[in-house]
Amino acid sequence: MMGDMRQSLLRRDALSAAKEVLYHLDIYLSGQVQNSPSPSVDTPTLELVEEFILHRRMSALQELQLLEIMCSCFQEQSRDAVRQLIFSALFTLQGNQADESRMALLGKLVSMAIAVGRVPILECAATWLQRSHTVYCVRLASGLVDDYCSLLPGSMVPTLNNISSSSPQFCCQFITAVTTLYDLSTEELSPPVELLQMVVSWIQDDPRLVLVTLLNTPASSSQPMGSLDLTPLAGLVCWCVKSPLAYRRDRKQGLSNGMPDTKPEAGPLFSALHLSVLQVLLLLPGVLREKGLLGRLALMQPEQLTSLISDLSRLLEELNPLQGDTQTHTQLTLERLAQALQVAMAAGALLCSREDLRALCSHLPHNNLLQLVLSGPVQQSAFYPHVNTPPLGYSPRPLGPHLSAHSPHPTSRSPHPSSYPSYPSQPFIAGMAFPFRPSH
Amino acid sequence: MSAQKDCDFLVKRARDLVSEDPCAAKAWLITARTLYPTDFNIQYEMYTIERNAEKTTSAGRLLYDMFINFPDQPVVWREITVITAALRSDCQDKQAQFLRGLFETLPGPVQCEMLLKATEQCFNTLEKAEMLLLLLRRFPESVVQHGVNLGESLLEAEAAEKLETPVNCFRKLFVCDVLPLIIKNMDMRLPTSLLQKYMLKAAEFYIGYVTRGPSADGQLQGKALNGSTHEGGGLKSPGVPRGSQRCVIEGLSEKSSVVSEPWERLLDILAVVGTRCEWQGDKGQRGFVEILQRVKELCRYLSNLEGETRLRYCSQVVICASLVLFRSAYLYSPPCVCGCVWVCVCGCVRTYLNIVGASGVNALASGPWILLEDLSSVYMEAELERGAGKHTHKKRKLADGREKTMSSDDEEGFGKGRGRHILVNKTELPGWAETLESFRLARESWELLHSHSCLETEFSKICASWKTDSWLWFRIFLTDMIIYQGQYRKALSSLLQMAVFQHTQSGLNSPGQSNLEHQRTLIQQASCHYALGEYRMACEKVLEVVGGLVPQSHDPVKNTEDQGKAKGKPKKGNDLRLLPCTNKSILPFCLQLMLACFKLRAFTESRDDLSLGHVVVLLQHDWPQGESMFLKAIDKICQQGSFQYENFFNYVTNIDMLEEFAYLRTTEGGRVQLELLPNQGMLIKNPSPSPGGELNTLLLPGVQTPDRHHTVTRGITKGVKEDFRLAMERQVSRCGENLYTVLHRFCINEKIMIIQSLP
Repeated sequence: MMGDMRQSLLRRDALSAAKEVLYHLDIYLSGQVQNSPSPSVDTPTLELVEEFILHRRMSALQELQLLEIMCSCFQEQSRDAVRQLIFSALFTLQGNQADESRMALLGKLVSMAIAVGRVPILECAATWLQRSHTVYCVRLASGLVDDYCSLLPGSMVPTLNNISSSSPQFCCQFITAVTTLYDLSTEELSPPVELLQMVVSWIQDDPRLVLVTLLNTPASSSQPMGSLDLTPLAGLVCWCVKSPLAYRRDRKQGLSNGMPDTKPEAGPLFSALHLSVLQVLLLLPGVLREKGLLGRLALMQPEQLTSLISDLSRLLEELNPLQGDTQTHTQLTLERLAQALQVAMAAGALLCSREDLRALCSHLPHNNLLQLVLSGPVQQSAFYPHVNTPPLGYSPRPLGPHLSAHSPHPTSRSPHPSSYPSYPSQPFIAGMAFPFRPSH
Repeated sequence: MSAQKDCDFLVKRARDLVSEDPCAAKAWLITARTLYPTDFNIQYEMYTIERNAEKTTSAGRLLYDMFINFPDQPVVWREITVITAALRSDCQDKQAQFLRGLFETLPGPVQCEMLLKATEQCFNTLEKAEMLLLLLRRFPESVVQHGVNLGESLLEAEAAEKLETPVNCFRKLFVCDVLPLIIKNMDMRLPTSLLQKYMLKAAEFYIGYVTRGPSADGQLQGKALNGSTHEGGGLKSPGVPRGSQRCVIEGLSEKSSVVSEPWERLLDILAVVGTRCEWQGDKGQRGFVEILQRVKELCRYLSNLEGETRLRYCSQVVICASLVLFRSAYLYSPPCVCGCVWVCVCGCVRTYLNIVGASGVNALASGPWILLEDLSSVYMEAELERGAGKHTHKKRKLADGREKTMSSDDEEGFGKGRGRHILVNKTELPGWAETLESFRLARESWELLHSHSCLETEFSKICASWKTDSWLWFRIFLTDMIIYQGQYRKALSSLLQMAVFQHTQSGLNSPGQSNLEHQRTLIQQASCHYALGEYRMACEKVLEVVGGLVPQSHDPVKNTEDQGKAKGKPKKGNDLRLLPCTNKSILPFCLQLMLACFKLRAFTESRDDLSLGHVVVLLQHDWPQGESMFLKAIDKICQQGSFQYENFFNYVTNIDMLEEFAYLRTTEGGRVQLELLPNQGMLIKNPSPSPGGELNTLLLPGVQTPDRHHTVTRGITKGVKEDFRLAMERQVSRCGENLYTVLHRFCINEKIMIIQSLP
C-alpha cells in the first residue's frame, strides 16, 4: 500500500506531493489516535515524510506555499493529540541526514507561526523544545532571534509581546533556550538588548511564565537526556549575576569603536530581571509543594552553580582592576549572586548547604551581603512565635562557621591573592563570634 | 543583637538604593526577608516602597502580611488608622484614593477583621460608629451582630451629650446610615416597638433637618432651633453670608452633613418599617397624598377593632398622618421661617422658585405670605349694604352678632370654616397651587389625628417628645388653620404667643427679619380683630404695621385680575386671602382694612363726617375701584347739605374727587356747605400763603385751635370762598404727588384721631 502511494506521489510535483503526504499523515494518525492505545508513527511514514517533504527540492515560492499549507493544516486540526503526532512525524529528530532539512523547515515554520500568530504550532514547538536535545533547541532559538532581532530589528517587540499571553508554553521554553544560548561569555554570546527587553517585559507581565513548563509537566515524568532545563531560572540567574561584568566589558569595546549607543541600557533591564527572578523564586515553594517536589527537585543544579562561579572568576580576572568602576560592578555581581543564592536556597530551588556554598565561593572577592548569606542568619530568639509565614523553605542552617572545618578563611584565597590587589582583605580575628559578618 | 544589626544593615542598603534603582532595593529586601522572615522592619520597608510608589496590589499584599504577622506593631496600627480614616473621609486627593484602593485589595475577611480591630481601638463614639459603619456596609452579615448595638450606642451618645437638636451627628449617622442597614436586613428579628421607636427617631431627624435654619447650630436652645431662622426673607442684605459653612452638622464633614432628598429617604424608611410592622394597605403606593388616603380609609375601621390589632392600626395611622401633617405644614409655612438653604437642598421646588424668581425682580417677593381676610370686595359691600341697609342700630347688631359667631362657639366656627375659599394672586405667589394643596393636606391630617381619642393621645405624645410647640413654622400653620376654621379668638391668642416667642428671639436675628416677622403677626392680628368686628383693635394693629413700613417710591401695582374676580363673584365676605408679606402688598391691605372698618360707620344714617372723610381719603387707593362708594359718599353729603373734614386738603389729591367736591359747592351741585380747611381763621390771617412752607405748617396735626368750630360755622364769607378756591387750585397741583406717600402720611399723622374715631 505504501509502495502504491509512493508511486503516485512520485508522479506529482513537489508541492502537491508534500500536500498529499500531509493529508496522508492526517488520516493515518487520526486513525492511530482513535484505534491504538499508544499511537506512534511507523518507519514507512517517516520515510515518506523525509522523501517528499524534506528532501524534494522546492523553489522559494513553493516552500512558502508549503509552509502556508502546513500552517493551516495545524491550525485546522481540532485534536491536540493528532496535531502533536503530525508535528512529531515531521520534526522529531531521527539522527539521520534529513535532520538538517528538518531543522531548517522547522525554523521557518515556527518563525512564520510567530509572525502570523499560529498558536497551535507554537504549542507543538514548545513540546518539541522540551523533548529535543539542547543543541537543537538552541539552534532553533538562535534562528528565531536572528529572524526577529537581526533580520527585522524593531519588529520583535510588537510581534513577540503578543505571544507571551497566547502561548506561554512556547515563551517559557524559548526563554530557557536563549538563556542556554547566550551565556555572556563573549560579546556574541550576550543577548541582544531587544531580546533582553522582551524577556523582561514577558516576565514582568506574568512572573509565572517562567514556571509554565514546570507547572505543565507531571511530577513523575523524567526529562530526556540532554534536554533543556525545566525552567529558565538557572540561566536567568547567570544572566543577572554576570551582566554587570559582561556588559561593562562590552561597553568598553563599544566606546572604543566610537559607536553612539542608541539602544536601551542593559543595566536597568538586568536589575528589573533580577528582581523578577527573585520574585519567581518566591513563588516556587508553593508550586513545588503542590507537586510534592519540595526539597526533591533542584531547579538550580550544583554543576550550574559551579560553572557560574568559575565563569565569574574568569570574568573578574579579565577586568582591569584599576578601572574606576570595577569595584562597583564587582560588588553588584557579588550582591546579585548572594541574593540569588539566598532566595533560591530559601525557595527550595537550590538544594545545598551553606557549607557547600562557602566552599564554592571561597575564591570570590569579599562582599558583605555574600558573607552574610554564606554564614546564614543569626539564630534569633523566638520574637514572634505566632508568625505563620514563612512561606519559604529553609535549608538547615549549618553550624556557626567558625566552628566548621570548611569555614572560608581569608587564606583560602591564596591561589589568587594577586588578582585582587585593590581588594582589602578581611583579617580573620580569632575568637570573634562571626568574623565575616558584614562590617555594618 | 547581631541579627538586629544584620537587619538594620539590609534595610539601610535598600533604603539607600530605592531612589536610584528601586528594583535593586526590592531585591535586597526580598533577600533580607528570606534571611530574617520575622523581622518587622524589613517588611515595613518593603511596604513603604510599594506604598510610596502607589502600587496598590503589592502594597496591599504586604500590608496583609504585616497585619497577620505583626498584629501588635504600633506602626501597623498607625497605618491602618490612616487607611480607615481615608475610608471614612470624603477626601478625593490622590493619597486618599490610593489608600482606599489599597484597602480594597485586601481579602474580605482581613478587611472585616481590620475594621473590627480598628473599631476596638477607637474611644470616640462618633469615630467608632463610622468605623463600624464601614464594616456593616461592606459585610452585611455583620449587621446582625453589630447593627442594633451600634444604633443604640449612637442614641445613647446623643442622650448623654444632652444635645438639644435632633439634627446632630449621632442622629444623622443613626438615621441615614445605620437604620437603613438594620431595617433592611431580613435576618434580624426586630420587635415592632423598636421599629416604631426608630421610625419616629428618623422622622424627627428628617423634619428637623429640613426645617432647621442654617444659623441654628449650637447657639440656640433646641426650642428655638426649628423656628428661629428667617433667612431667605429677603430683608437680609445680600452681603450677609448665606452661611453654607453653618449648614455643617457639628462633628461631621460638610459632605456628610448633606442629606439629599430627605423626604424621599423618610418615605423609604416608612415603607420598610411599614412592611416589617405588617401595616395595612397598598405597599406599592408611595407618596404622601396616597399615604394619607390610606390611613383615612383605615380610620373607618378603627372603632370596630380591639386589642393588638387596634393598637397596630392606631400606630400606623398616627405615624403616617403625623408625617403627612408635618411635611405639608412645612411646605405650607412661609419660607422665611425655614432655612432657605436647606429648603433648596431638599428640593422643594416651590420655595426654590420663590427664591430664585425673586432675586431678579424684587427681593421682597420671596418673603413669607400671610393668610388674611379677603378684602378685595371691600368696595362692593357698600352697595350691598346700602341695598339692604336700614338703620344704625341694625348695623351695630350685625357687628355684635358676628363677634358672637366667631368667638363663642368653636364647633360652629369649625363647621363654618369648612369649604372656605382662599384667594391668591397667582402672579405674586407662583407656587400657590402647591401651597394651598399643602395647607389642605396638613389640615386633613390634623383632623384625622384628632378624630379618635386614641390617635390624639398618641399624637400628642409625639408632639411632646419632639417639642413641636417650639416649631415656629408649625405654629404658623396651626394659627392659619385656626383662622381658616374661623376661630379668630383662639387665633389671636396663638398670635400673641407667637409675638412673645418672636420677642424673646429678636435679639438673635437681624432687626429687619424680626421686624418682618413682627409685622406678619400684627397684620394677622388685625385681620382677626376685623373678622371679630373689633374695628378699633384692627385699626390699631394696622396702623402699627403701617408705622413700620417704608412708603415705596413707586405706586403699587393694581391687580386687575383680582378686581375682575371680585366683581364677577360678589361673594359676601368670609373668604380668605393668601398675601405675600411685602411692602407692596401690605400697605394696600392695610388701607382696605381701614376702609372696611370705617365704611360701616360712614354710611350709617347718623352723621359721622369724620368717618366719611376717612373713607374718602382711603378710597383714593385703587381708584376708581371705589368710585361707586365715593358717589355714595357724595350722595350722603348732598343729603346732609354740609360736610366738615378739616384734613381734606391734606390727604385728598385725587383730581376726580377734587372736581366732585368743587362741584358740590356750586349751585348746580347743590350749594353744599363744605368746611374742609383745617383752620380757616389762620387762612384769613395769612391771605397769600406761599404754597410750600405755609401749607406744611397747616398740615401739622393738632393745630386745630379751640375756636375752630366757631370759625368754620360762619365761614361762608367771601374771604373763605377765596381760600377754598386757592386751596383747590393748590390741591390740583398736588395731583402728581405719590399717592402712597400721602396715604402713608395720613396713617402716621392721623393715627390717634383715626383710632379714636372708632368705638
